[in-house]
Amino acid sequence: MKILIVEDEKMLSDSISSYLKQENFICDTADNYHAALEKIDLFDYDCILLDISLPDGNGLNILKELKANDKTDGVLIISARNSLSDKVTGLHLGADDYLPKPFHLSELGARVSAIIRRKKINGNNLLRFNDLIIDTLARTVSIGEKPVELTRKEYQLLLYFSYNKGRVVSKNAIAEHLWGDEMGSGSNHDFLYTHVKNLRRKLMAAGGEDYIQSVYGVGYKFATN
Amino acid sequence: MKLFTKYNRVNIIATILVLLIGSTCYYFIIRFVLIKQLDNTLKVEEAEITAIVRTRNSLPEATRYRDQMTLFTEVGRPMRRKFSNITLYDSAHHEFNPYRRLQFALNVNGKYFLASVTKSETETEDLLILIVIITMAVIVLLLLMLFLANRVLLRKIWQPFYHTLQSIRDFHISSRQAIKENSSEIDEFRYLDKALNEMTGRLVREYERVRIFADNASHEMQTPLAIINSKLDLLIQDQGLQEKQMKQLQEMYDAVGRMSKLNQSLLLLTKIDNNQFVDAETLDLAGLITHKLRQMEDITNDSNLEVTLALQPVTLALNGYLADILLNNLVGNCFHHNVPGGKIDIELTTRRLTIRNTGPALSFDASAIFERFKKSDRSQGTGLGLAIVKQICDSLHYTIRYGFEQGMHTFTIDF
Repeated sequence: MKILIVEDEKMLSDSISSYLKQENFICDTADNYHAALEKIDLFDYDCILLDISLPDGNGLNILKELKANDKTDGVLIISARNSLSDKVTGLHLGADDYLPKPFHLSELGARVSAIIRRKKINGNNLLRFNDLIIDTLARTVSIGEKPVELTRKEYQLLLYFSYNKGRVVSKNAIAEHLWGDEMGSGSNHDFLYTHVKNLRRKLMAAGGEDYIQSVYGVGYKFATN
Repeated sequence: MKLFTKYNRVNIIATILVLLIGSTCYYFIIRFVLIKQLDNTLKVEEAEITAIVRTRNSLPEATRYRDQMTLFTEVGRPMRRKFSNITLYDSAHHEFNPYRRLQFALNVNGKYFLASVTKSETETEDLLILIVIITMAVIVLLLLMLFLANRVLLRKIWQPFYHTLQSIRDFHISSRQAIKENSSEIDEFRYLDKALNEMTGRLVREYERVRIFADNASHEMQTPLAIINSKLDLLIQDQGLQEKQMKQLQEMYDAVGRMSKLNQSLLLLTKIDNNQFVDAETLDLAGLITHKLRQMEDITNDSNLEVTLALQPVTLALNGYLADILLNNLVGNCFHHNVPGGKIDIELTTRRLTIRNTGPALSFDASAIFERFKKSDRSQGTGLGLAIVKQICDSLHYTIRYGFEQGMHTFTIDF
């Protein structure tokens, strides 16, 4: 999978690429508008992470360029301006998703994976991790042939973990993902423990392995070694 | 008291006073002139009598007419000439009438006589009364005209002032509109309008600058926050980290989380202030509350709170995002600031939403509850939640009240 990161903050694009590389994505970076246009012209990407406020141009024009050249690269807008009109314009111009700064890398990872998966219209809506199968279309989970009954939140939690497979996902990121940012910070994250515990119990009861490991109270890791 | 009333009062009192003094003087002057005239007639009479006495050396006949009498009385010694006012009884008309009398001495053949010529003043008095009546009528007419003219004129002249006053009342800095200059032909009002226009224009520009600064500052902070967050996200991937470091990382996460929440709240306040959420939609408020409660219970399932609902089906036209934030903050507070085993009562009618919850008393003055950054020492929140709630209510023209009764925090919103 090839990803282009268009972001003028080098520290941020470094973080993003080193996080996404762990998912075996190949990351390319462009730190200004013109470099981005050039790269888009030369290569095809599975997903472009686009900061719309660039020093030498508006990222939204890159979207127009993509559209004009009939490119089907997935686009995730990342913006410091959490503005509804930017979001609407961006999505209207063909962006797939909009993520306001600041964000968690795990959230970014999940969104990128979701975009890439949606772009691949070869009917593969099944995510497999050993004997664990997640059907993202039917929103069902099974271990081998055995279906696992999950609540909506547990399903979202599992999907989020699976998108960030092999990496530690912080509790704050999970809380924000599942309950919106109003719950994400300042509040107690103990409630999360119950949800994760239930998910683990259900997966194991269905004969699955213990995929989810707790990491010193800071977060969880979904591993399928 | 209106300036007009005050002005009119002073004006009319002064006018009356001047006119009273003026007409009194006028009365006395006219009277003096008329008496003078009468005296002249009497003097002519005197000259005639003296001439007769001199030529004939005898007294003329005494006469008695209705308006003029001549009498002669013998006196032992010469008398001084004298004018006087007297009152005589008119038996025909049963009334006292004023007369002017001239007494003078006559010497007829060595005998002294006092001649007395009396002339009625009635005509003079009649004339005087007529003059006074006419004068009074003119005064009354003048006052009336003055009053009406003032009333109409002043009202018209002051019209621009009231207009300006209304503009000042209607001035809201958040509307970003300076007070317009009204065209008035009165210089003072034009100066006032011009000064107001300049002042409000300056205010609006300053306000705009501060607002843009706050907006930019908040936005500029998002990127460094994003960097810190991303570095933390990478750091926790490090398998070499011990529990102790992880704990510190968690604390950093929480701090960054609070910081970004704070930033978002400030931006939200600016946005509400900018009226960026104007599109209204028809919302089922009862449904939203139930949904919000379910969401909250999801994250607080171990608090054992007893929730009582009395929700009438209510639909309101308001912005969905604002409604969501409003309920989020209010309902969220019920859970965050509650006690284990506590209670939450939510009551919704077509006119009012009442949210009550048990919880420890405030550690600050209740009147400051909607102020920015006002929060209890225990609170992990930003201190902006209720300020946002208040701002949303203000922008929707709802009124919100807070009270603490029988251990229950009560928020009431009147739609």
